Amino acid sequence: MKAILISDPTLRDGNHAVAHQLSAKQIAVYCDAAEKASVPIVEVGHGNGLGASSLQVGEALETDVVLLETARAHLNKSKLGIHVIPGFATINRDLKGAIEIGVDVIRVASHCTEADITQRHLGYSREKGKETYGVLMMSHMASPELLVEEAQKMELYGAEGIIIMDSAGAFLPSDVTDRIEALVEGLSIPVGFHGHNNLGMGIANSVAAIQAGATILDGTAKGFGAGAGNAQIEVLVAVLQKMGYTTGIDMYKILDAADIAEREIMPLVPIIRSESIVSGLAGVFSGFSKHVTRISKEYGVDQRDVYFELGRRKVVAGQEDLIIEVVLDLVKNKKK
Amino acid sequence: MKQELINLLKVDCQKSLHDYKDSLGVLQNKSILVTGGTGFMGKWIAESVLLLNQEHSFNIKLYILARNLLDYKEEVPHLAKQSFITLIEQDVRNVSNLPEDINYVIHAAGSPDNRKHATNPLKTIDTIYKGTHAVLDACLRLSALNKVVHISSNSVYGHIADHVDKIKETQMGALDCNSVNAAYSEGKRLSETVCAIYRNQQKLPIVIVRPFAFIGPYQGLEKPWAINNFIRDGILGGPIRILGNEETVRSYLYGSDMAFWLLKVLAGGKSGATYNIGGDESVSLKSLAAKVTSNFSQKIDVLVRYSKQYPPHPSVSIPDTRTIKTELKVSQVFDFEASLKKTIDWYKKIY
Repeated sequence: MKAILISDPTLRDGNHAVAHQLSAKQIAVYCDAAEKASVPIVEVGHGNGLGASSLQVGEALETDVVLLETARAHLNKSKLGIHVIPGFATINRDLKGAIEIGVDVIRVASHCTEADITQRHLGYSREKGKETYGVLMMSHMASPELLVEEAQKMELYGAEGIIIMDSAGAFLPSDVTDRIEALVEGLSIPVGFHGHNNLGMGIANSVAAIQAGATILDGTAKGFGAGAGNAQIEVLVAVLQKMGYTTGIDMYKILDAADIAEREIMPLVPIIRSESIVSGLAGVFSGFSKHVTRISKEYGVDQRDVYFELGRRKVVAGQEDLIIEVVLDLVKNKKK
Repeated sequence: MKQELINLLKVDCQKSLHDYKDSLGVLQNKSILVTGGTGFMGKWIAESVLLLNQEHSFNIKLYILARNLLDYKEEVPHLAKQSFITLIEQDVRNVSNLPEDINYVIHAAGSPDNRKHATNPLKTIDTIYKGTHAVLDACLRLSALNKVVHISSNSVYGHIADHVDKIKETQMGALDCNSVNAAYSEGKRLSETVCAIYRNQQKLPIVIVRPFAFIGPYQGLEKPWAINNFIRDGILGGPIRILGNEETVRSYLYGSDMAFWLLKVLAGGKSGATYNIGGDESVSLKSLAAKVTSNFSQKIDVLVRYSKQYPPHPSVSIPDTRTIKTELKVSQVFDFEASLKKTIDWYKKIY
């Protein structure tokens, strides 16, 4: 039976869903549950990753140090992972400290066309002996051919695997198949997929990725994540089991972990709201949802218009400050 | 650098000098320029010249030209302070007037680090092409010049369709030029053509060297090649990660052997000739990982990460070195096992 490596970013992507307000206690509770379920990798941190807590993308309730030290204390067999976007995270200020706390897995991410920025962080992580992956975010914005070229750079920089993120939940299964097949062909290292559920395709896209040759999947408890949420880890485990793949995850215990997460860490289980559907159609980063909702409401504009305009401008993660600009333009045009 | 480590390098050079002393005699009292002289090749050439000067009174003058000399002075002060070495800080693309007493040139500028090629493909091509053009143009004005050795790359061979155990100098394969990944290989191919033009039209005596893989001190463990990463992972306690096809085959030549082979080319290589330089013993990545682990007392795990089932014939990049061995009478003093052990022992002392 073929093995699939599951990484669980409930405590990182899920932080987007609560404006980065996950507490140390919540981190501890879910880490305990994930550990019992033998989840291979538990990713923890601010929604935008290490060092990202800021006015621009949202200030976290807890510092990176508190988040990671808490998780470290509650994970043993399960590896502790972090999401690292160079720029938000610097090597000296953030990465060194995270490694000292004892992170096991470092996933260095960039926008899908900017892999060049990951060289130093990937290199540093490998030099420290950490399990190191490259992540290409907003991968719907690049053709399969361009994704392969960017992924090949990350492979050269030292990545041991490449994960593409459908950060906007914009893919249909055929889009995923095209990209994963191209990556498997063009790379020597394993390929993975991180799905979002804006168009209800989180699980279907993950299955398409596996069938196209991916061997790494991301999933979160009850889909807890940005926007409409991610592929649900408990569903993924069940579906993969039915398809004959192994994950090493205990079925009953991951179901328990998902229930614990629903009870202890999420104010609302993610659902596909109308704005999430529009966000997926427009191809806008799911992490924008809180900001778009808030600013649109403040200025009395239809947030669906905001998403389509953001999509037209091809905004990417880290450009949250453009939301207000778009909203103000819409207000101005409305007055004309 | 500790004296203990410097002494180890000297012992390596003494052994690699082998029986070449007489045939290297033409280099006595001559001046040699090494462009890109602060890299792996340049440092080993300087070590070998240091030995020739100190132990055998060769009285060679060495010019080291590189874009940034600060790190060099800090990393190898025992070389930088030598009176026979003159450091020239200059971008190779801007070379115009070279010291008039230069008799030999080893044009080794242009990093083989493929991370740099991926990040700056245009600069990669620019440095190779414009650097070669500038150096050869400057060589035209050197009245005492005897020979130029141009360091090309094994990557010029591209993909050889038929499965071969060893690559001969005449076996040119295909390159996908419509690819960002072709920058270094195409750049090196172009640089060889530039050399051919200068040889033909300007009658410059130029020899081409195509280096394969090397091993030894001065090759940073952060470099993106399997053997460096395996050694680093081993020193860190593992696991060693084999990324991709574990049956991929490579061979390695030790640094001091490489340096003396290059000096032999400088002394005896025929203008217009092309020589492969590299090790003889084929080693798969799987076997390499096992050999690395056997050099550590503690147990080190080996992980294999790959994306697909690989074809039956793995990637093979082994040089056929019969030309250089026959014409210039060189031999590999350190076999692979010894080279690996020496390298690991060296880095254990540093880390």
